[in-house]
Amino acid sequence: MAMETSLESPAPVRQVANAIAGWVDRLGAVWVEGQVAQVNRRPGMSTVFMTLRDAVADISVTVTCSRTLFDGLNPPVVEGASIVVHAKPSYYANRGTLSLYARDIRMVGLGELLARLERRRQLLAAEGLFARELKRPLPFLPGTVGLVTAPNSAAERDVLENARRRWPAVTFEVAYAAMQGQRSAAEVIEAVERLDRNPAVDVIVVARGGGSVEDLLPFSDEALIRAVAAVRTPVVSAIGHEPDQPLLDLVADVRASTPTDAAKLVVPDVAEEQRGVTHARDRVRGAVRAWLAREQAGLDALRSRPALADPRTLLDARLDEVAQLRDRARRTLGHALDRAADDIGHHRARARALSPLATLQRGYAVLQDADGHVVTSVAGVAAEQQISVRVADGRIHATTTTTETLEETHAEEG
Amino acid sequence: MPKKAEQPADTPSYEAAREELIDVVRRLEAGGTTLEESLALWERGEALAKICQDWLDGARQRLDAAIETEDE
Repeated sequence: MAMETSLESPAPVRQVANAIAGWVDRLGAVWVEGQVAQVNRRPGMSTVFMTLRDAVADISVTVTCSRTLFDGLNPPVVEGASIVVHAKPSYYANRGTLSLYARDIRMVGLGELLARLERRRQLLAAEGLFARELKRPLPFLPGTVGLVTAPNSAAERDVLENARRRWPAVTFEVAYAAMQGQRSAAEVIEAVERLDRNPAVDVIVVARGGGSVEDLLPFSDEALIRAVAAVRTPVVSAIGHEPDQPLLDLVADVRASTPTDAAKLVVPDVAEEQRGVTHARDRVRGAVRAWLAREQAGLDALRSRPALADPRTLLDARLDEVAQLRDRARRTLGHALDRAADDIGHHRARARALSPLATLQRGYAVLQDADGHVVTSVAGVAAEQQISVRVADGRIHATTTTTETLEETHAEEG
Repeated sequence: MPKKAEQPADTPSYEAAREELIDVVRRLEAGGTTLEESLALWERGEALAKICQDWLDGARQRLDAAIETEDE
């Protein structure tokens, strides 16, 4: 029902207000989802005012509800909580304000919240923000460690203490940010980007102690996830305890289960590394020493072999051989000589038996003329002839004087 | 400092010397070589053993030296 107005016949405020009220009513009751930004619950007032903020856009609306309804809610509505309200837009003509009058408020159940988170995770995963190949390795020895955490929080202490215990020379660049509530996501983004711009910072740790799913909600904030995906410096997400798994864990290059664990991941334990190096060096030396010992033993064994250690064994072998040969030679020679000697002896005996010597020894003598012929008869022997007489032990040289023939009976032939 | 440097360039490598030494000992023990050959073999064996020992001494010196400088 458009209103007919004109410069000449303008409509009074109340008429415009009523018209607006009418149009507003036409929306009717709707289920609205949003995040409770502020809650004004003053004692004595029957109506509670809340500001409901859109989850993504920066738009919010006032929600009013009766105090009895508000107080009856379990779990109670807290700032930052996500809720779904069944409300009817109402235009408060007197002051021209619009608000949603809530007749039913439902806490966004944990299941609902998680379900919504899951949908958001799948959305971002589909975009490849969590892709494994995007994960950057952490520097082994970071120059400066960027830390995004709440001022003087347990998380900050855990990270700093543990890192320093492992490597006293570590330097930190801490960027404080609200780690809970409305401003948290935005502040963390700003802190992370500031650290990322700092060239000295080699790794950024986002650390926060434990908390409820709602408390950790900012760390699943889409804008934060996109910001972390965009930074160049490797990011370590250390949010809550082991079971907590905000989306930041998925987009970060490394997920640490706790702030303490993050300290262990970003900083090497120098003492441990030192032990490792010493251990490795000792093993190397041990190996070389063992090799040397083995080779030395092998060489000693070789050198101790008789063939090398005592060449005399070689010569001895030959000496023995020669000695044996010599002995055999001598023995055979000896035998030969013996036999020869026997043989000679035998012949000599025979010779001697046949030899006139024995006869000579019996007193006979043998006459030989100058030529050595044996004189067997006086014939042919002249006087004054040189003759030699062979007696047993020698010869007598004589000159004949006379010769005399004797008649003897013929002795048997010798 | 390392003994290895003093040896003439054509010194066989440690492994080569060691292999030949094993062969010399084997042939000497097998016998059947003339006196002349076994003497020559024996002399070669002694020379090879010295070469191997020099290599090992050199290695040991270098190891001890490295450890010494380390522990100062």
